[in-house]
Amino acid sequence: MSEHDHDHEHTRTVAPMVDEITDFEVLEIALRELCIEKGIFTAEDHRRFTEFAEHIGPTPGAHLVARAWLDPEFKKLALADPLAASKEVGVDWLEPTGFGTPSDFVAFHILEDTPTLHHVIVCALCSCYPRPILGNSPEWYRTPNYRRRLVRWPRQVLAEFGLYLPDDVAIRVEDSNQKHRFMVLPLRPEGTDGWSEDQLAEIITRDCLVGVALPKAGVTTNVITDTRPALHPEVY
Amino acid sequence: MTESNGARSIKQVKIPALESVVERNQVWGRMAAKYGVQNPLPPWKSSLDGICDALDESGCGSEVLGFVDRRNEEDTLSATVYSTLPYPENQLVSLAHSLIARGVVDEKELRERMAVVRARLEA
Repeated sequence: MSEHDHDHEHTRTVAPMVDEITDFEVLEIALRELCIEKGIFTAEDHRRFTEFAEHIGPTPGAHLVARAWLDPEFKKLALADPLAASKEVGVDWLEPTGFGTPSDFVAFHILEDTPTLHHVIVCALCSCYPRPILGNSPEWYRTPNYRRRLVRWPRQVLAEFGLYLPDDVAIRVEDSNQKHRFMVLPLRPEGTDGWSEDQLAEIITRDCLVGVALPKAGVTTNVITDTRPALHPEVY
Repeated sequence: MTESNGARSIKQVKIPALESVVERNQVWGRMAAKYGVQNPLPPWKSSLDGICDALDESGCGSEVLGFVDRRNEEDTLSATVYSTLPYPENQLVSLAHSLIARGVVDEKELRERMAVVRARLEA
């Protein structure tokens, strides 16, 4: 390969990168190193938790719901014994990290929507979230603004996500905490007859599992919302 | 409900080393746009999550900085002292602020380590 061809190859295949050392990446490394040196945690623990953070996501939750839509017996299991159903999609709540870290939040509940009842989850206190099965919480879920306002005005907050529910659909807001985590089992939408589990899982987005969106044939992405600051962040 | 004493005091702690980081404003959104990078989150975010989890699960973590205090202070600081920073930069700087305010990490020590880390990365 000539030098010219080599350069051309790079132009086509190498993704752009931030070619600058930022203060934030320096701060993250410095802080981590000091914590390790002070014995607050070990480098090994940090590496494992970082890998955990890298690989979790909403895929297991989406497959759990898709399977429940397709298999009535699995749906019964999901509602009666969510921990057992989670294991079927590869999530062990008793040892969520997979490297011996016991969980203290084993009370996992799956909330079944009906034509007249819609569920949505929040953590009014901080940002408790079913991470092993849904991955890291989105930015808006962590904000005091969402947390404070959802419990007071759920219908209006859902409308801000583009979810307008009719008045005859009741909304139940479930408040997560250190011991209890929740996930929504939404209704299967129209236009999905004959779909496979994988096809269904694609439209069961993170937002649907939190309850700020409803699954819809053809929609496979989450809503992008502006994160609003709280006016009174310490009061909730 | 009124503002807690803890929330009031944490934002009164001045940490010039972190103020300098804020002033330089090398936030991911700006840097990514400058270099045409599409990732919505900076590459150090999962390592920051690793720090938070390791801290929460550590035997001495709750004595150093408990989970609820960490999140409450992050909310307070993100809405006040670091309100100009986006997420997750505000999460990172708030964590550093909480650790320095508690004396877990010394500000001078952090500043010196940041210089060492930067020199290493730029070598």
